[in-house]
Amino acid sequence: MSEFMKVVDGVELPLDEDGFLQEPEMWSEAVAVAFAGDEGVEEMTDEHWKVVNYLREYYLKNKIAPMVRRLCKETGFNVKKIYELFPSGPAKGACKLAGLPKPTGCV
Amino acid sequence: MSYKRVRVEDISKPARDLSPTPTGELKPLPSPFDKQDELPKRKELSEAAREKFECDLDGTVVLSHPKPESPEEERVLVEKFLSGLEKLFQAENNWTFLQPLLLSMDHCARCHTCSEACHIYEASGENPIYRPSYRSEVLRRLYKKYVKKGGGLLSDFRNGRIVLNWKTVIRLAELAYRCNLCRRCAQTCPIGVDNGLIAHEIRKLFSMEMSIMPKELHEQGSMQQMKVGSSTGMSALVVKDNIEFIDEDMTDLTGMEVKTPWDVEGADILLIHNAGEILAWPENPGAFGVIFEAAGLSWTLSSEIAGYDSINYGLFYDDAQFARVAIHHASAAKKLGVKKIVLGECGHAHKALTVIADRVLVGDLAVHRESALTTLEDIVMNNRIQCDPSRNDFPVTLHDPCNMVRNMGIVEPQRRVLRKICPQFREMTPHGVDNYCCGGGSGFAIMNGHNFSDWRYHISGRKKFEQILNAFRDELDPSIPKYVCAPCSNCKGQLRDLLDYYGVWEKNRILYGGLVELIVNCMEGVKPGFIEWEWH
Repeated sequence: MSEFMKVVDGVELPLDEDGFLQEPEMWSEAVAVAFAGDEGVEEMTDEHWKVVNYLREYYLKNKIAPMVRRLCKETGFNVKKIYELFPSGPAKGACKLAGLPKPTGCV
Repeated sequence: MSYKRVRVEDISKPARDLSPTPTGELKPLPSPFDKQDELPKRKELSEAAREKFECDLDGTVVLSHPKPESPEEERVLVEKFLSGLEKLFQAENNWTFLQPLLLSMDHCARCHTCSEACHIYEASGENPIYRPSYRSEVLRRLYKKYVKKGGGLLSDFRNGRIVLNWKTVIRLAELAYRCNLCRRCAQTCPIGVDNGLIAHEIRKLFSMEMSIMPKELHEQGSMQQMKVGSSTGMSALVVKDNIEFIDEDMTDLTGMEVKTPWDVEGADILLIHNAGEILAWPENPGAFGVIFEAAGLSWTLSSEIAGYDSINYGLFYDDAQFARVAIHHASAAKKLGVKKIVLGECGHAHKALTVIADRVLVGDLAVHRESALTTLEDIVMNNRIQCDPSRNDFPVTLHDPCNMVRNMGIVEPQRRVLRKICPQFREMTPHGVDNYCCGGGSGFAIMNGHNFSDWRYHISGRKKFEQILNAFRDELDPSIPKYVCAPCSNCKGQLRDLLDYYGVWEKNRILYGGLVELIVNCMEGVKPGFIEWEWH
């Protein structure tokens, strides 16, 4: 299996050079679970899903990830907590699990 | 030093890597990061990546160019390169930089003064292909052999051997992305050769003639900016929503009512931020709002395409993209009829719009452009807001963004402000126009494919990391919070990643941020504690 492909439930999902889903519409909860281990998340708890679901919902509406400050405000978790939940951080960790494309521009 | 000798003509050879950079060769960092085996391990380029992409330079890769499938495909690519090389030296095709390019192509005395000035060459432990003159000499020989009159076969004898094949072409492309375009080498060359410009021209040839460029700069960068409005992907609706969120946040934090004005016709100032600030460092545009409102300025943001995103990545790789974006910026200002554009804390946007765009923004488009650093200097030094420096009584040092400082000469405004509002301000060594790049320059800070981010942390960012540690040498203890002021989004991105990678916040309590945050942190009438140290 190449590092540029992830197989979830028998479906091949192409990844970019940073390991993000190339086609965000191919996301499912199973994809989040499949990514979790790679990003240092041992088990998807309700708190993890709260973050992932918010990111997903915001992305589908706005075609972009929310500001981290907004994510914190909406979920009630501070940045430290987000890093505890997703050790590789809100962008490289949480957004990847939620199937968002890699953030672009100077962020 | 144990690098093997690499000759210029070796670039065409079919070896696996032209000259890898082993970790054992890297220049040691200062204490407490001086034990290489205690530092995070560098990620290797995977075999899967090597199989799929052209990766035969130094063990990392930026361009991810797929391997050609046949010799015929390679031949076509080499021909395209040659056609681009010819165009690079024609006035009608290179009206921007032909003259300085020709001057730099003429001669190199091989004194290697430039190598000593280069942070990448030094940090690598002197990898010969990172000499600023190496890629230049490849281009120079190709130019003299294939483009300049009197070249041909005799050129190898007169000007040094070079073989043009696909390996030469793709390695040269990749090698143009092992330079931060900081132009410290150009500043030091005794005969005025600009190796930074040559790296830029090589990138341009590949982008404009062969569509070979990093996707972060092109598809996701300037193309997205002109389609959606911003390289971040924020549409006008989203950016307004985000700024509204920031305004509320700032009002809570400062106790001052902040409402950012949008699309105000006839305002004095159109402020353009790097839109990345709004998403990743919202306290920066937020602090601008607090200061501008408190100083009573007449200002506005624009919701036009690119009117709310100052980035112009074309500066790094493509003149046509550069010109298109610059025109968008000027048009946004024209439409509102503002007196001038003020650029927020973004280095390359400064150089792009205020200096290089002079060649594009003529006649009707000649809008006044100014650095926010001078606007802020005016506000702080003329007491248009009141400051209480005792609120900033912690060690502060200043990073000089190359594009603003060495490449534009904006040296003192930010320093006058810091000397006034930060009692423990100290300079890095060296600083000002002699500064070192953060290691993220020319767009590297947003490139993370494969193992390239590790290259940034271990090699291009190494010198800056050393400088930061030295600036706080006697205060590295984590009980003392410290601040690196870096008034540039790209530099901040690099510093964030670098400090995080080496665990500097946990070990030494070094925070980074912009200039406006320090100003608001000491503003009288604002709730104390604007800088949130825990948001490292």
